[in-house]
Amino acid sequence: MKRHHIIKTILIFQALLIFASCKKALTEIPNNAIPTQDAIVDASTARAAIIGTYDAVQNYYASNYPTLGTITADNVIFNGTLSQYLQLDQNAIPPDNVITVAAYQGIYKAINSANSVIAYVPQVSDPLLTATEKNKILGEAYFIRALGYFDLGRGWGGVQLQLKPTTDLSALKGIKRSTLDQTYDQVLADLTKAEPLLPEDATTRNRAQQSTVRALRARLDLYRSQWADAENYATQVINNTKYTLVKPYKAFFTAPFLSTESVFELTFTANDKNSFWNLWYPSSLGGQFTLKPSDAIVAKLNNPAIGGTRNTLIAGSGTSVYGVLYNTSATSTDPSYVIRIAELYLIRAEARAQQGNLSGALADLNAVRNRAGVANSAAATQADVLQAIEDENSVEFAFEPHRWFDLVRTGRAGTVLGLTNQNYWLFPIPLSDILSDPDVTQNAGY
Amino acid sequence: MKQFYKRSVYLLFCVFFTLTAFAQTNTAPTIQSKLDGIVLDSLTKQPLPGAVVKIKGTTHSVSADADGKFNFVTGQRFPYILIVSYIGYVQREVIATGSPITIVLKENVGQLNDVVITGYSTQQRKFIAGSITSVSGNAIKDQPVTGFNQALQGKAAGVQVLSNSGVPGGGITLRVRGSNSINASVDPLYIIDGVFVSNADPVQTSLGNQEQSNPLSDLDPADIESIQILKDANATAIYGSLGANGVIIVTTKRGKRNTQAKINFNTYQGWSTAIKKFKVVDGPQTQELVNESKINTAKDGGIDPSTIVLPFANPASAPTYDRISSLFETAPSRNYEVSTQGGGETSTYYIGFGYLNQESIVKPSTYDRYTGRLNYDNYLTSKLKVGTSINFSRSFRNLSGSDNNPQGVINSALFPRSYLPIYNADGTYARYGSFDNQDALIANLNNKAVEWRTIGNFFGEYSFLPELKLRTSWSVDNGSNYENDYTNTLLAAGIATNGSAASYENKNTVLTNEQVLTYIKSFGRNKKHNINALIGNTINTVLSQNTTATGTGFATNSLTAISVAATKSGSSSQSQSKLLSYFAKASYTYNDKYTIDGSLRADGSSKFGVNKRWGYFPSGGVAWRAGEEDFIKKLDIFSDLKFRGSIGLSGNQNGIGAYAAQGLWTSGANYLDQPGTAPSQLANPNLTWETTRQVDFGTEFGILKGRLDFTVDYYNKYTYNLLLNVPVPYRSGFASYLENYGSVTNKGVEVTIHSINIRSNAFQWTTDFNISFNKNRIDKLASDITLGASGRNISILRQGYPINSFYLYKQLSVDPQTGNAVYQDVNNDGKITAADRQIVGNAMSNYTGGFTNTITYKGFDLGAFFYFQHGNKIMNMNDFFMIHGGTQANIGFVPRQLDRWTTPGQITDIPRLTTYSGNPTQNDGAANNYGGNVASLSSRYLEDGSFIRLKTLSLGYNIPTKTLNGIGISKLRLYVQATNLLTFTKYKGLDPEISSQSNNQNTAGYDWATVPQPKTIQVGASVTF
Repeated sequence: MKRHHIIKTILIFQALLIFASCKKALTEIPNNAIPTQDAIVDASTARAAIIGTYDAVQNYYASNYPTLGTITADNVIFNGTLSQYLQLDQNAIPPDNVITVAAYQGIYKAINSANSVIAYVPQVSDPLLTATEKNKILGEAYFIRALGYFDLGRGWGGVQLQLKPTTDLSALKGIKRSTLDQTYDQVLADLTKAEPLLPEDATTRNRAQQSTVRALRARLDLYRSQWADAENYATQVINNTKYTLVKPYKAFFTAPFLSTESVFELTFTANDKNSFWNLWYPSSLGGQFTLKPSDAIVAKLNNPAIGGTRNTLIAGSGTSVYGVLYNTSATSTDPSYVIRIAELYLIRAEARAQQGNLSGALADLNAVRNRAGVANSAAATQADVLQAIEDENSVEFAFEPHRWFDLVRTGRAGTVLGLTNQNYWLFPIPLSDILSDPDVTQNAGY
Repeated sequence: MKQFYKRSVYLLFCVFFTLTAFAQTNTAPTIQSKLDGIVLDSLTKQPLPGAVVKIKGTTHSVSADADGKFNFVTGQRFPYILIVSYIGYVQREVIATGSPITIVLKENVGQLNDVVITGYSTQQRKFIAGSITSVSGNAIKDQPVTGFNQALQGKAAGVQVLSNSGVPGGGITLRVRGSNSINASVDPLYIIDGVFVSNADPVQTSLGNQEQSNPLSDLDPADIESIQILKDANATAIYGSLGANGVIIVTTKRGKRNTQAKINFNTYQGWSTAIKKFKVVDGPQTQELVNESKINTAKDGGIDPSTIVLPFANPASAPTYDRISSLFETAPSRNYEVSTQGGGETSTYYIGFGYLNQESIVKPSTYDRYTGRLNYDNYLTSKLKVGTSINFSRSFRNLSGSDNNPQGVINSALFPRSYLPIYNADGTYARYGSFDNQDALIANLNNKAVEWRTIGNFFGEYSFLPELKLRTSWSVDNGSNYENDYTNTLLAAGIATNGSAASYENKNTVLTNEQVLTYIKSFGRNKKHNINALIGNTINTVLSQNTTATGTGFATNSLTAISVAATKSGSSSQSQSKLLSYFAKASYTYNDKYTIDGSLRADGSSKFGVNKRWGYFPSGGVAWRAGEEDFIKKLDIFSDLKFRGSIGLSGNQNGIGAYAAQGLWTSGANYLDQPGTAPSQLANPNLTWETTRQVDFGTEFGILKGRLDFTVDYYNKYTYNLLLNVPVPYRSGFASYLENYGSVTNKGVEVTIHSINIRSNAFQWTTDFNISFNKNRIDKLASDITLGASGRNISILRQGYPINSFYLYKQLSVDPQTGNAVYQDVNNDGKITAADRQIVGNAMSNYTGGFTNTITYKGFDLGAFFYFQHGNKIMNMNDFFMIHGGTQANIGFVPRQLDRWTTPGQITDIPRLTTYSGNPTQNDGAANNYGGNVASLSSRYLEDGSFIRLKTLSLGYNIPTKTLNGIGISKLRLYVQATNLLTFTKYKGLDPEISSQSNNQNTAGYDWATVPQPKTIQVGASVTF
């Protein structure tokens, strides 16, 4: 009997030990993610990677970046409960303000995706990935990186330039903040690379094309006061028959979108929603009403001599006037409007005015005004024309992220918004970066 | 994985096959004598059902039945010696010379003689070197709470329990000896009848930042026999990587062999009401405050106030609409439980059914639960026992959002200004700002969650020798939560979409297989040497699966199925992780006095990096029963005296993702409806166990002949290699990196006192007291981590401070001359900037405890239980929002706003009303009163949350047995009970027992539009047939 026990015990424990030999048993693999080393290896993963890069741009352009460029200026005011919006409205932005943090983080996410595409796609050798398509993917990545650094530069000043994908944290060390000029130089370099790689067709408006690159180039040159270049690139885009100033004004923000007005917009779909409208609509219509048109812009839009048909940007009455640029409350499919052809007209108008070509400037300005059913501008002097362009920008892009950046770019935020402390013309670098990154320095005044 | 289970099944099959072969060799015995007997309590002369009577020198034993009676038909001749034992009584040897026989047992006062269930085995408390607290099922019964873990509040030293809200079945916070971790789980391991159960909140419907459910509510507390809480490393190290946060072992009721069937019926009906209700400023005063703010703002901006137009021309005539009254109700609850237990010669059973229904005092949350349990054991042979414990439950929740969800019921009632009508002129629901209408929500909220839960275990136990036993156990915890939400067009969230619906199916499955070989033997002269050893393994798989479907656009509100929605979308996900473990433990006791024990566990987890998957967790302990030494006995002070000490390591891997160590690109980063991928996680091949090293010194002693028992413990827990989401520069494209970095210390003292004040036949009075002190500190952290309150980052994790610290601007005063708030200028730069935010308090208590008095007199029993906690702070978010000085255009005021500064010389802590935003860095400047850099993140909203409360007061009466005999009832108790009858606190909100942001363990201590704890009166009856 006793011997049996011993044998049995030994048998059982031998059996138990079988488990120990199963090393594979501790390997679990997710079914909704791929290992980093397999991320870009063939045609389909390369395509997925550039799509993912656009998705990252969508993420910061859906609501965060447009909010930063609007509530901070005078067209949009805070009307909700969330103090992060109040902070932006009051231009008293702490470094942990979640909107600025999310935008900053989102932009670098897009840049990291673009960096990955730029680094790995050239190494892919897959007969299904033609040289043309490879170039297109690379060109799109360069464009997105340019857009990312441009959006960082105008918001936060010169930033740290990450040009390689992050696979290891040690590679981050030693990269300090660049100057704003260096950041914009990087944007220029990427745009220059992107232009020849990209295709151009007559219909695409939600992926980067040569004209998209030229349009951003025109804006970059405007921000850098390089008027001739700005005029030149704006002209190239305006002359492309793919783009027209649509009538009526509201056509560009009315479904099905992708109007000929659009140079670059980010499309959202029923499966990929953008519920930015929710921040604009009152709760009686299902929204949160955090962002509200200011009394001043409501008056301008309702004035036929200023707003014209742009009064279709607002709805409601009395104290509950609300903005309807983002209006697909049932489906949440509003696009993010990144570049419209109207902007190119106003860029060229400003560039021409700065170069003393007032009649050319007025022609462009009036093209935008006439489209909205507003009479020609009466401005006569250079200063008047520039002021008229500034005012036009404010109304034409009432709820798009232009006004704040324009006032900062032209140095008029102090005069117009009363924000005389120029430190606050830049957003703070996120607090967690200040704490975790020895290479970063905070913007002055924060 | 499949392979594993296949192998295990094969193995089990082999074992049983051989065992049954052995079992068949038994032969029928010859009958030599018959013995009838009864076992009684020496003092009360009450029968002791279940007492075990064994014939010495044989393996023949029987248990006493419900009347304490037993009988033997045996091959032994009279006289022979009977060994009679009963839990909680002194074991006796009695010589049986003939039948019948009456045996009386003396109750064993003094807790050291209890039998305690420890990791994978049972031990007598007197030999245990670890720190283990036991709570009997009786101590938690009849509480008007849904989960047994909630009922542990104040009952066990070292266990801190807080209900996060007053919602029935809602989430709770439970910590054993403080919070060990930052990003990994801080919940203890729960084991119910050998089943490792999941404590993950299965509810998917997002309705604010609160934990929606207490997953352990799926177990009926009435089924519980006892609960053991394993606290120190010596007790928990055997659970290795699962043990660092403590282990709570629940044992449910089982039948006893040879006992008559007993049927129990319990019921209660309860009524809950709000202790306090919200108060808001009425219409006229609200308008006056808004006007005043406008005037002050004009002055601050240098504008002549007489030139401005006031928002309200005639505040005195403003109406007031009461939104609060319709929010609250007297909430009924009812509970029914019926159970039967008993056992025959070879099998025992316990069968229980329960039904509980509770409503919330804030409409429209409800909870109801059906539970069923079967515990069955069968002694196939004298050596082989098989058994099962199965718990089925179905819980239903009608969910309602609150806290940071502006369209929650409480938010929609509390925040809108009181002069605004609830209904529009046309009778439709009126809405303001971001808020919904509370009447609309109460009538239309439709978020139904149904959780089916099966917790089951099958085991076989074979005794090779009386001292050598092999147990194999197969367990499953399968939770399936099915939610169907419909938001109709009468709710703000459904207006724009024309109705929206969501359906979630969430499955959580934990599979555990375990083999344990136990060797327990006493040998040597007088059995001086005592060995208790075991060796075993477990395979543990955790599988989580999720499917979601959503639809928007419905033809009418009566159509709610997603299949008929205009737009539909769906998604699914799953994750699986695995844990392989081997463990061994041995304990040696010499002469009943000296115990030394040690254990070792090796764990391999699929979650960790390929380089560091395996972790090893040793522990060791010593115990000395000084009370058994002659020199102590001579003192004649101690009825018992024991010292113990232990040290060991345990680990933690819960709460991190199943694939946390892998470098991954996530899919689903789509654009233009094309599939996209994006980098989502950096690889960390060195990711490994978070380890807790714990030292514990304890003493247990009794004085006054065991009338007064003390247990005192000191512990020091040091948790290092924290699984920490270390923030990384955003320019990397990532926000954080999970690595082993940082450490946390928890130190504390626990005291438990049990006192038998009076003990006579008719009158008994006992007092239980426990108090636990815990001091928590983050010793090492990569950098500050701020979080909480919807991006306001009011909570902070900072090196040198405890977890759950509050990070605010410290308001020193309101300048009596200007009426502006003055904050502490921490860096003395003359400005108020982000650098002046500081830690001003903490949500953790310095100490918590309970104080229970139980008096029985003849048939009456009276119980009073106080719970207390001290030293924690509460961030009153309701005040934060509703004392806004005019900055919140859509929010009303609480009465505390009326204390604002108005006239020079006035002393108050509420600054002057203004919305001026110029010069946001000025201290004692208008901008920072309610906006500016401070943005109301002022310490003026942080309050002391200490309280002591009469948690339960109960009065019961046992109908005398004589009266009952005629009607076939053996026992009948009637009682009335009050819960939360009295609360003593300085906290000015509704109730100090609250935690609104409980979805994240690092954001404790917020009170934010949350259902408060109710006051409950209940009447109940308990019948035994």
